[in-house]
Amino acid sequence: FFHGFYAEEKLVGSLASMSTSERIKAIQKMPETMKKKREIRNKVLKEITKKSRHRSTQLSCCTQCLQGTVVSFRRFGNSLSERFHLLHLWHKTLKIIGAEFGTSVLSYFIFLKWLLTFNIFSFLINFSFITIPQFVAAEPNNLSFTGLELLTGAGYFQQTVLYYGFYTNATICKIENGLSYNMQLAYIFTVGIYFVICFLILLFSMAKSFCRNFITPQTYSGNASKLLCTWDFNINNEKAVKLKQKNLSTQIKEDLTEVNREVLNFSVTERVVRIVIHLVSWVASLGTAVAACAGVYFLSINNLKLFVKGHKNDLESQAAMLVLPIVASLLNAFIPFFYSWLGHLERFQTPGHQIYVTITRNIILKISIVGILCYYWLNIVAASESQCWETLVGQDIYRLVLVDFIFCLLGSFFGEFLQRIIGTTVCVSLGLPEFDIGRNVLDLIYAQTLTWIGIFFSPLLPGIQMISFSIVFYVKKVSLMMNCQPPRKVWRTAQMTTSFMFLLFFPSFLGVLSVIGVTVWRIKPSEECGPFRGLSSVYAAVSEWIKILENYTASKWVVWIYHNLITSELFFFILSILVLIFTYLYWQIIEGRKTMTKLLHKQIIN
Amino acid sequence: MGNKQTIFTPEQLDAYQDCTFFTRKEILRLFYRYRDLAPQLVPLDYTDKPDVTLPYELIGSMPELKDNPFRQRIAEVFSENGDGNMTLDDFLDMFSVLSEMAPRDLKAYYAFKIYDFNNDDYICKSDLEKTVNKLTRNELTPEEVSLVCEKVIYEADVDNDGKLSLEDFQHMIIRAPDFL
Repeated sequence: FFHGFYAEEKLVGSLASMSTSERIKAIQKMPETMKKKREIRNKVLKEITKKSRHRSTQLSCCTQCLQGTVVSFRRFGNSLSERFHLLHLWHKTLKIIGAEFGTSVLSYFIFLKWLLTFNIFSFLINFSFITIPQFVAAEPNNLSFTGLELLTGAGYFQQTVLYYGFYTNATICKIENGLSYNMQLAYIFTVGIYFVICFLILLFSMAKSFCRNFITPQTYSGNASKLLCTWDFNINNEKAVKLKQKNLSTQIKEDLTEVNREVLNFSVTERVVRIVIHLVSWVASLGTAVAACAGVYFLSINNLKLFVKGHKNDLESQAAMLVLPIVASLLNAFIPFFYSWLGHLERFQTPGHQIYVTITRNIILKISIVGILCYYWLNIVAASESQCWETLVGQDIYRLVLVDFIFCLLGSFFGEFLQRIIGTTVCVSLGLPEFDIGRNVLDLIYAQTLTWIGIFFSPLLPGIQMISFSIVFYVKKVSLMMNCQPPRKVWRTAQMTTSFMFLLFFPSFLGVLSVIGVTVWRIKPSEECGPFRGLSSVYAAVSEWIKILENYTASKWVVWIYHNLITSELFFFILSILVLIFTYLYWQIIEGRKTMTKLLHKQIIN
Repeated sequence: MGNKQTIFTPEQLDAYQDCTFFTRKEILRLFYRYRDLAPQLVPLDYTDKPDVTLPYELIGSMPELKDNPFRQRIAEVFSENGDGNMTLDDFLDMFSVLSEMAPRDLKAYYAFKIYDFNNDDYICKSDLEKTVNKLTRNELTPEEVSLVCEKVIYEADVDNDGKLSLEDFQHMIIRAPDFL
């Protein structure tokens, strides 16, 4: 008893010496009952008032006033954070989805919400820094508005702030001798800083997620964690709970029988046959991807001929503009089914293997389609004789994004609604459909990649994508609730979320950065439209600005930073060497710690 | 919202805010949920700290817990004398730990207590067998259950004493990213 009392005294003393917020966090984290925590808290508060009374003779009234203001600030901060809770978009909807379907399906919706915040951020800064000044210096729009523009993005929209071509290259001066606003620099810096911020956010989220979810999964990916850690306490729907229990028992049974089957050895002929089948299906899938790319490429070349011939705003040429996006979306929608069928034909060792191979093939398909489109835009459209090639590219991307959105809605309808009808009435053995997380996430990443590429050519595209993502959220949620059943397989949600973020960062975002990089540094902007008309490259605007700055002594430091840090190769070389050295050191530290853990482990056992 | 509520004194609310992960609004909302379970038993005025306990049957009928296979253990772990009947303090405590704002090691500590059916501070084989049966709705045969429990102990037992202590359990939880 005395020992416990002494420990409590020590605890109270240590808590009293912490700052207020630390103390509150420490009390919240204590694994005691509420009564005990309240007692300890009261003891700590008494201790603090005793200490401050002890020191009150030394405190001037200034410090006491300061303490009073600190306390009232804290109360204000608390009430403010309560108000901000309302801003948590869709909090309740996400909780309901998690309760009925579990965290694996919830991870798709959280990913969608995360992508939506990227688009909201981009739209806000593009609108404030590029579009609003442009409204001040806008030229009148002489074209007529027919409803078809919403679908094709051409026609009336060509002369609006939607596209690059409309923006002026002048320095906007509304008031005589007032502030001037350099549109060229604004455009390039807004887009550049947005991408830098996105890069940092993606890098840090990915690193944090990777660190948390991949540290040592291998040692405990076995039965212990499966049993004790995968129960999803979020679920509170009776049917879902029963289903989860059934799944867990089926999985445990499978694991137990697999233990007995581990010893099975494949004979040599069987192994050769399996390798041949794998090779053939890989060749087939890569061949389909190449054929799809070739089809898209030739279709786009034909598309370009339509444009360069001139505007014929009749129905036929408008409809012809939509052929390319519809074909691209059809390929993206139907070839994955072919890949899943191939996956069923081959016999993989584990179902997890099959999922990963199918997802990899889908990624290769989508990357190649986006890649061939970028090649077409940057090499062929940019060098064509059209008046304003950036606006053409912007229109292409607008149409692709829009048609992809429509196909997403249709896919929800046909994929899930019809499958439910068929599964319950005609062919009951199929049952309700499951929500295909992998395919839907890849669709989201594809749409976001297109939007990021389009930011340079059509600054308000994130706004359109914002609206489309919100509608997709609601449609998918309704379709999920009405048509789907909770997933049967146990998804390792945390690892899948990390893989989604990694896919978003590595092929998608870095690919976009390289495309934008090539556009800014290598391609010649069009002569007659846009903020960079007449320059030899988009980047020339920055170098010209630096030349102007050289004449002012007040901004010599900016010029110095530019010449010695940003454009100097030596600086980046030294930076890379330092990064490599630090990586190597950290790697060695980790290796050392692993050996230490093993030694300590042995000591505990003995 | 302001200071218009008369259920708690400001000091009581401050104490609740400091001891749980909830804000004032959430604490009041939880109080109303607690009261809705038995309006005739729970007074609207808690300033004199009345001693009101709700029986386990009412707690177990809440929609959040109704279908959870471990609801009885959860109520027993958080109640004062281990019988499942909860006061308002225990109720707030339970939801605070189960909320998404609670850190993982706190949840791991309570999860350990929930899985420890015989309350001896160790998860032994019989505790694990009861856990497996609750998780799989008695669908496995006793031999399968026994095999699974042996494997779990083999994998997670660090100090090799045949049962899982709190440290073994926490060690495993830290490595398992899917723990909720």
